[in-house]
Amino acid sequence: MKLQVTQENLNRALNNVARVASTKNALPILSNVLIKTIDNRVCIAATNLNIAITHYIGSKVSEEGSITVPARLMQDFVASLPSGIIDIKVDDTKLRIKADKYNSTINGTVADDYPVMPQINNGSTWNVPAAELKKALQQVILAASNDDARPILTGIFFHTHEGHLYIAATDSYRLAEKRIMPLAQEVKLLLPASAMQDLLRIIGDADEEIVVTHDDQQVLFTVGDVELVTRLIDGVYPDYRKLIPTSFSTAAVLPKAELVNITKVSSLFARESAGSVTLDLDEDEKQISIRSIASQLGENTATASAKVTGTASITLNSRFILDGLGVINDSEVSVAFNGKLEPCVIKGVEDKDYIHLIMPLKS
Amino acid sequence: MDTASLWQAVLGEIELGVSNGNFVTWFKNTRLLKIQDGCVQIGAPNVFIKQQLEKRFNDLIAETLTKNDVAYTTIEYKILPTSSLNSRRVKDEPVVLQNQTAQPVKVTNRPTAPTSANSLTHSYRQGLNERYNFDNFIVGGGSELAYAACQAIAQNPGTKYNPLFLYGGVGIGKTHLIQAAGNGIIAKNPGASVVYVSSEQFIQEFLDAIRFKKNTDFAAVYRSADVLIIDDIQFIAGKEKTQDELFHTFNALHQANKQIIITSDRQPKDIPTLTDRLRSRFEWGMAIDMQAPDFETRCAIIQSKAETHNLSLTPTVVEHLANYVQNNIRELEGALNQLIAFCEMRNVDPTLEVAVALLGNTKARPKHLSAKQIIERTARHFQISVDELLGPKRDKEIVVPRQIAMYMLRSELHLSFPKIARELGRKDHTTAIHSVEKIEKEKAFDNEVRVAIADIKERLYA
Repeated sequence: MKLQVTQENLNRALNNVARVASTKNALPILSNVLIKTIDNRVCIAATNLNIAITHYIGSKVSEEGSITVPARLMQDFVASLPSGIIDIKVDDTKLRIKADKYNSTINGTVADDYPVMPQINNGSTWNVPAAELKKALQQVILAASNDDARPILTGIFFHTHEGHLYIAATDSYRLAEKRIMPLAQEVKLLLPASAMQDLLRIIGDADEEIVVTHDDQQVLFTVGDVELVTRLIDGVYPDYRKLIPTSFSTAAVLPKAELVNITKVSSLFARESAGSVTLDLDEDEKQISIRSIASQLGENTATASAKVTGTASITLNSRFILDGLGVINDSEVSVAFNGKLEPCVIKGVEDKDYIHLIMPLKS
Repeated sequence: MDTASLWQAVLGEIELGVSNGNFVTWFKNTRLLKIQDGCVQIGAPNVFIKQQLEKRFNDLIAETLTKNDVAYTTIEYKILPTSSLNSRRVKDEPVVLQNQTAQPVKVTNRPTAPTSANSLTHSYRQGLNERYNFDNFIVGGGSELAYAACQAIAQNPGTKYNPLFLYGGVGIGKTHLIQAAGNGIIAKNPGASVVYVSSEQFIQEFLDAIRFKKNTDFAAVYRSADVLIIDDIQFIAGKEKTQDELFHTFNALHQANKQIIITSDRQPKDIPTLTDRLRSRFEWGMAIDMQAPDFETRCAIIQSKAETHNLSLTPTVVEHLANYVQNNIRELEGALNQLIAFCEMRNVDPTLEVAVALLGNTKARPKHLSAKQIIERTARHFQISVDELLGPKRDKEIVVPRQIAMYMLRSELHLSFPKIARELGRKDHTTAIHSVEKIEKEKAFDNEVRVAIADIKERLYA
């Protein structure tokens, strides 16, 4: 193999890919990245057997071939090279790199042993704008669980409902749902949240169409020159929709910044009690106040004026409130619930597409 | 041959042919699903492995199957459902949103804990010894309060005295009491999960959890307990990360009104390098000082122990034993066991003469000690020089050790007061009388003095 690439391209590809290569695996070759020529392009790829990322970069290929080299070393090395042209040559299991004044050899292994990148044959395909998907994932991913004991809840649920594409995540204490766009075809995919984190990184600032291809076992996201394949989590996602209340007995509307402020202040006094704060909504006083008590430190009540209907209280985890508010983009938000043991819904007043639901704490 | 054992044979052979890494990654979790109409169906845990088997190992598998006399025409690979592969995972449990009880780490499914606990090293009740119960605990003056508190806890765990912190010297029954409390809770509510660990075990498991990346398992076991009992917490001193973990565990449990019981050989504030937030938490509930049993209690303990061995001892023998060991019930039991074993083997009655011959006379015990040794040891304990101790200075840092030295001379060597005064370079024997009386008084309520005396004694007789 013999080729020329620019440092910028190679660096970008390695940054996307090398993260996946893991040294924790029993198979040593999985800590390597695969470098392979295909026609006049170079493909840089890595997999941890849960997801696989492949990045194609343009190059001047004068001799076809392939090799695998340690991912960490390769990434760090290329990152520290000056920008410009890099000459790459493979002699058997040695990768020789020449760039400007740097001349180095990295010992690798033959690519034959590297796992085959999964392919999707006759799957169905649809497109989604990168910016839309990125925004949606950022709003939803925080609600996914990271407890492996219940794999279903570690997933992000992509599905269509009444002609729209939705994504949702829940750890059974909170739930986030986002309507992305109209989509004619039927979709029902449960994807690992960790793979979606990788996808978010790959999307970066891209604003093109992402092509999603899937069969019943895996999904391929194509973002420009990058391909990410992940397995699906199997299992039936809970029918969460029936848990979202449609009408509320108590609700408050106020500027987001104010709610963030009073929640933050109260959360200072809620560290001992696992973030537990109590929201009091008062229709007569037209205000919302948040109480918290720390047995040793003291206590706090912070109040903000708001448009309130109904008078009631609810106890929530302040961290969940702040997480939810952090991903709502509207300047006005509404907090609504039915009684202190029913879920509390936080959403932007203008935003009809995003809903964040928090289960109350039993106090 | 059934499919499972056939596949085992095939895998056994493949294992020899490929590297360990390859085998573990690609073959370990595969299954032979069925052989039907010349078609062999092999299950793989995920799509990556399926493709790898198809593309790289198909020939190897085909060859090995033939070697094992399997007649087939095609090999087919299928992906197994996740649930069939990993028994650790919770299956078929309906997922519903749930209200949290005020703690973010609530483990909602108890069934995971015992299975995942296998990877840690204990199951729920391990560590609790049924031998320890309230009935065979003999209550004495030093342990009355602790006994009452433990009984109250066994009746209503988590409501009163939470956390309960017991402290006191070695061998005075702390472990017995807290185990009795644990057993009492289980007796009353057999479903309760009582986790009993020594702090050493807690530390070890925490290290393992870090090493094998099983932190969630670790948290699941401890944070789902109804009662957490930690013995000898003082060993956690200096282990910062473990203290962090304990702190979070403590909060999670305390928030959920779960009972926490802790023992130590000293008060929370005397444990060095214990972080303040843990210290304040330990002092939060009830801290009880357990003291060495008095003479009558020791006699009662000996008598009850002897009864369990079907042995009747004369009051003089009991008194001799009770005098022989004064501060440590474990040693007391040791002495009694020694006596019992001796009598059984020699087939003699446990008379006073036998006891004295076997254990030696109490009064004879400190004979090998000299006044000089005691003074030196005391000085060293307080890190002052012998000259300072014997000198004229009357700083508090020197006076207290000097008084303790006098007390020790009196209590250990039974020296006369004039002699004690002379040993310490004082002219007046009333100084010695005052000192000994003062220390005797302070010993009753000042833990520091008590610990110092116990420590010096321990080293003297070591």
